[in-house]
Amino acid sequence: MSNTFNEPECPFCLRNIFYQINSKRILTDINIRIERSGITGIVGPSGSGKSTLLRLLNKLVSPSEGRILLEGQDYNTIPVRELRKRIGLVQQRPYLFPGTVRYNLQYGPKIWEVTHSEETLVDLLTRVALQKEFLDRDVDGLSGGEQQRVSLARSLANKPSVLLLDEPTSSLDIVSEEIIENTVKDLARDGTKIIIVTHSLEQTRRLTDHLLFLKEGRLIETVPTASFFEKYNEEEIRGFFKAKTKEDSL
Amino acid sequence: MTPIIPEDIVTLATDMFPRIITSIVLLLILIGLSYWQRIEMEKLFLISFTRGLIQIILMATILIVIFELQNLWILYIILLFMCSFAAITAKRRFPYPNIFQIELFSITVGSISVMTFVMIVEIIPTEGTYIIPMGGMVIANVMVMTTIVLERIVADVKKSKGIIEAALALGDTPWNAVRSITRDSFRAGLLPSTNRVAVLGIVTIPGLMSGMIIGGINPIEAAIYQVIIFLMILVGGFIGELIIGFFFIKELFTTEDQLRLALIN
Repeated sequence: MSNTFNEPECPFCLRNIFYQINSKRILTDINIRIERSGITGIVGPSGSGKSTLLRLLNKLVSPSEGRILLEGQDYNTIPVRELRKRIGLVQQRPYLFPGTVRYNLQYGPKIWEVTHSEETLVDLLTRVALQKEFLDRDVDGLSGGEQQRVSLARSLANKPSVLLLDEPTSSLDIVSEEIIENTVKDLARDGTKIIIVTHSLEQTRRLTDHLLFLKEGRLIETVPTASFFEKYNEEEIRGFFKAKTKEDSL
Repeated sequence: MTPIIPEDIVTLATDMFPRIITSIVLLLILIGLSYWQRIEMEKLFLISFTRGLIQIILMATILIVIFELQNLWILYIILLFMCSFAAITAKRRFPYPNIFQIELFSITVGSISVMTFVMIVEIIPTEGTYIIPMGGMVIANVMVMTTIVLERIVADVKKSKGIIEAALALGDTPWNAVRSITRDSFRAGLLPSTNRVAVLGIVTIPGLMSGMIIGGINPIEAAIYQVIIFLMILVGGFIGELIIGFFFIKELFTTEDQLRLALIN
């Protein structure tokens, strides 16, 4: 990961990105080059703009200034729905559609007039450690952890090349957290690019290969995870994750 | 249906006094209930009823002239004026861009199209006596129905923004992402009028029908007119709902299929 750009070869690059809403600046002059493979963690205190950055990457919002490039191609030249299919997003809360698990898993493919076979649906569930019996269960009856796993499987049903995860385990029990982390590792191993927002130091250590640190909407560090833990001592590391005070809030 | 304009205003005022007092008492009860339940509609009730009273008294004084009109163009201009007034009233509650234009277009197309249809098929004569009161009923109801739709869409989008964005994030269109919301809002808009039809003649004896019977029209004929009016209200209202739903949803999303959260917040 580096801050240099060679546009035609740029796998996933953000260039001079500013984002503001109602005159409130959320992101300031973000320049990032994210490599094709591996798991990239976006970390930083609350309110530092991590989730907004993910929303920009899924184009749920557009930058006020700057460009985003995917495989050297400007975001604005890619049809937005096609872009969102290629770049999946798992939100912090599952936000499942009312109905069965099957309905949720078929939702994305149906947009593209694809109907997954029973085998594919079962495979999707297996990837998030759920049994095939879950297919016809109503999502209302699922636990929080199961719902988040269905949400992850729902995104995977679109076969995205990049998967964005916004604190997917923040409100889950240890078992569900471990299942999701294992799924994420498997996906990365199979070639899906993962970009995950997390505020957990331990999850950062366990899961990520590269790190982007945001503070008050600015990128303050881009570093391989291993180097980060060698470069800084425990107290400095905790400082990166420390929640901001109210006065600091954007 | 000849309106009565009393010659002696003093006698009228004396006769009307108990009714005016009753109206004031009922209005105060309404305001009191609003205050008690803290729904903050006291001012709205007071302004609406005062304005409504002045408007209907003014209207009563020119009603004979309007009822005698047979010039279709002038009748249409009066209907358009009524639609504009309805749109101005409806837009006050929704501080969104282009809402007046959207309201005006939906109320006008919904009401005028159905009025024009019944005139073309000669169900109602092209006379002010028929067109203005019927048009008024249709326009008022279409306004209420479009307002219900808007209110419902705003409330449901606020409540479901996470699910809407989840659908968008999968590559879905804004229309699909809010389909269940628009469907529910259309249903909510149609329900009050549909319920009134269901109890027609048993619980409600509508004013138009009663007026016609008093005016000497055959009760069966008056009843059929009333059913036609309800159908006009429902068809015109549904058309208005579809139009307002379409244009408001367009306002709610950017050209990049992004939900304008700032708009509804």
